[in-house]
Amino acid sequence: MIKSLAHEMGMMGREHSIELPIAWTDVFGNEHKTVKGNPVAFHAMRGLAAHSNGFQSIRALSILMTLLGTIDVPGGFRHKAPYPKHIPPFPTPPNHPDAVQPNTPLAGSPLGWPASPDDLFVDDEGNPVRIDKGFSWEHPLSVHGLLHNVITNAWRGDPYHIDTLFIFMANLAWNSSMNTMQTRDMLKDKQANGEYKIPFIIVSDAFQSEMVEFADLVLPDTTYLERHDVMSMLDRPISEYDGPMDSVRIPILPPKGECRPFQEVIVELAGRLKLPVFMQADGQRKYKNYPDFILNYETEPGSGIGFLSGWRGRDGEKSMQGEPNPKQWEMYEKNNCYFHHKIPPEHQYLRNVNKGYLEWAKKLGFIKSVEPITIQLYSEVLQHFRLAAQGKRAGRKPPSHLRKRIETYFDPLPFYYEPLEVQLSDKNKYPLNAITQRPMAMYHSWDSQNAWLRQIHTHNYLFVNTKTASENGIKDDDWIWIESMHGKVRCMCRLTEAVEPGTVWTWNAIGKARGTWGLTNRANESTKGFLLNHLISEELPQQEGMGHLSNSDPVTGQAGWYDVRVRIYKADEETPKETWPQCESPKTPPGVKKRTGLWQQYFAGKGKFK
Amino acid sequence: MKKKQLALAIDLNVCVGCHACVTSCKQWNTSGSAGPLADKRPYDEDPTGTFFNRVQTYEVGEYPHTQVVHFPKSCLHCEDPPCVPVCPTGASYKRKEDGIVLVDYDKCIGCGYCSWACPWGVREMDEKNKVMTKCTLCVDRVYDEALPESERKPACVLACPTNARFFGDINDPASEIAQAIQENDGYQLMPEWETNPSNYYFSRKNKAYDAMTGKDEAAS
Repeated sequence: MIKSLAHEMGMMGREHSIELPIAWTDVFGNEHKTVKGNPVAFHAMRGLAAHSNGFQSIRALSILMTLLGTIDVPGGFRHKAPYPKHIPPFPTPPNHPDAVQPNTPLAGSPLGWPASPDDLFVDDEGNPVRIDKGFSWEHPLSVHGLLHNVITNAWRGDPYHIDTLFIFMANLAWNSSMNTMQTRDMLKDKQANGEYKIPFIIVSDAFQSEMVEFADLVLPDTTYLERHDVMSMLDRPISEYDGPMDSVRIPILPPKGECRPFQEVIVELAGRLKLPVFMQADGQRKYKNYPDFILNYETEPGSGIGFLSGWRGRDGEKSMQGEPNPKQWEMYEKNNCYFHHKIPPEHQYLRNVNKGYLEWAKKLGFIKSVEPITIQLYSEVLQHFRLAAQGKRAGRKPPSHLRKRIETYFDPLPFYYEPLEVQLSDKNKYPLNAITQRPMAMYHSWDSQNAWLRQIHTHNYLFVNTKTASENGIKDDDWIWIESMHGKVRCMCRLTEAVEPGTVWTWNAIGKARGTWGLTNRANESTKGFLLNHLISEELPQQEGMGHLSNSDPVTGQAGWYDVRVRIYKADEETPKETWPQCESPKTPPGVKKRTGLWQQYFAGKGKFK
Repeated sequence: MKKKQLALAIDLNVCVGCHACVTSCKQWNTSGSAGPLADKRPYDEDPTGTFFNRVQTYEVGEYPHTQVVHFPKSCLHCEDPPCVPVCPTGASYKRKEDGIVLVDYDKCIGCGYCSWACPWGVREMDEKNKVMTKCTLCVDRVYDEALPESERKPACVLACPTNARFFGDINDPASEIAQAIQENDGYQLMPEWETNPSNYYFSRKNKAYDAMTGKDEAAS
């Protein structure tokens, strides 16, 4: 298979070149009559990033495409605005505890791209400042943060205790956490004096999820159907290869009861906290609500660049840049809720060295300079960290227990290594890899328990290769145990030919805790559904002198969801025909009605669903 | 020229099994002429309900030469529909003007003969309302002049994110669907059952798979 793929890449890369009659000018002033490319591109998505060697693996694939000459050429791996960006991109995160002062807004961005040890968010001893230990020596380039460690760190008080945990749309008492059952215990654990270790928990959710049970304060959220949203050019827009594209959601139903879109809560909080961006010079609030904030916010006063790039200017006559337009939401709505700006063909290729493109991108603030964006085969950023670990660089040095780790994994050239947890696993005792994926029918559904979707997937199975199953005496629909070094789960098994013999897998987020999400205690999601999360730890097994290390990529802090090793065996005949572990059904909160009717029928425009 | 026959053609090369056709069908038709499509035990054990369109998933071959095929299935609007002659009340009928097979819910007594006669298992007894229901090819959309012409298609066709579904008159050689069937060697299910299905499928053609299984010697 690997040989056949390599052959195809080579053949396509060398012998099937594409040449388009598009004249363009490079950043050095050379004029080209055509643009040439090869039909080879590949995209590493969630699978590789969920291994603790994901960063270097994906970097290797990107470099392979670079060497094949297929970056942003016809048929190749194409850029989408606002990318490409220079390495390192801007901004950088805060780099010292002094940057955070009580009752004072942060001076810069809370997030960013560290380019060297001097950009890490650590104290004078090199210890982490953030509760998730993001941007610390443990995971220096953790641009996405380490949400999977927040509860454990706060519970242990490492690096410190917190007084409030505020969670939006992350089901951390269930499928968003590794080590689910112990995480649930941490959320309700108490100190010797009887106080909770995590004293106050706020949860914003549109449904009665597992996390809501642990909340001191619930902020009832709306669904996407009841609120405004943007997929903004300032964040992660839906751009196409031929130019930037962004989009919005417009509410099609009024919110129910006292539900409030979480965005409105955030804008309201920002106003009450008097954060500078949300204040006028006279101390009055600048934005009355979220739609108003989206319309009128500009990156700098008068920059003409805001969240949405379409229909800017007083009358909506400008694209990409222009003063705020009071009718912008209506104009998006008329255009099916998106805006697409096509750039001229001569700017659509080799954008990292395309003169016209770079000048245009700089004007819009995508990049800071029109210098060529050089692809780094050898990563200077990684080498800064490695030199620091080797003591060959002035400035910050990693704490001694992390020196070897930084030196090993911050290799400026990509390399393969066994994922960290696998290195520490007994592969004879636990011979199988275990992974999950989201069912396609529920891909972007927070509410997979709704009456129609739950008929598509009501519970999950562990999928096991037929040969692997028969070696273990397991047949279709048998009740089995899956066991890792961290815990075990009882579930039903399905034999399959569509997975390799050394890997088992299941659908994620089908299993639910008993009595949650408005389902009855008998719902299949809790009696037959299960999570693999119980088998996965948020921390690596303890190693002498290493402290508590997250089960994550040592470069980026991306969670090692796919690194767990397991074994499977048949459950005894006398074990209950029910998944394990089980949770007690939570008490029904006041004002919540259980839906227990035998029949449900929707009819648009009639009755209570009008 | 042959009589008009509206139908679907489904490209199994591009169907990814996302079920968008299933839920969009339910959404449109629950508010349609059949009345609401009921769901039984919607939030309890073993929920079940009426869906006109379902996706079945099959594995083909043995590891490592395995393919997973997602197979959307709804009424095939057969030329010779065995569900029609067995109906004791005349509720089940095939429209002369466009070949759509429908049920007249006012005449249906819910006896279920038609579902016994249908070899495809695509009739759906609505347990709550005690009538037989089925895919209508969104007959209440496709002729609706209040809709823009581009939307006069079944809900499933409009919802498909990979454009795996085609709709139109299979007997009009100039139609998009007829041409797609021609170009993709579209086939009918089980011709030996002699129902002459109007819906067509396009079978898997997978170069990479052929290379992997040795069918394509040049690339192996």
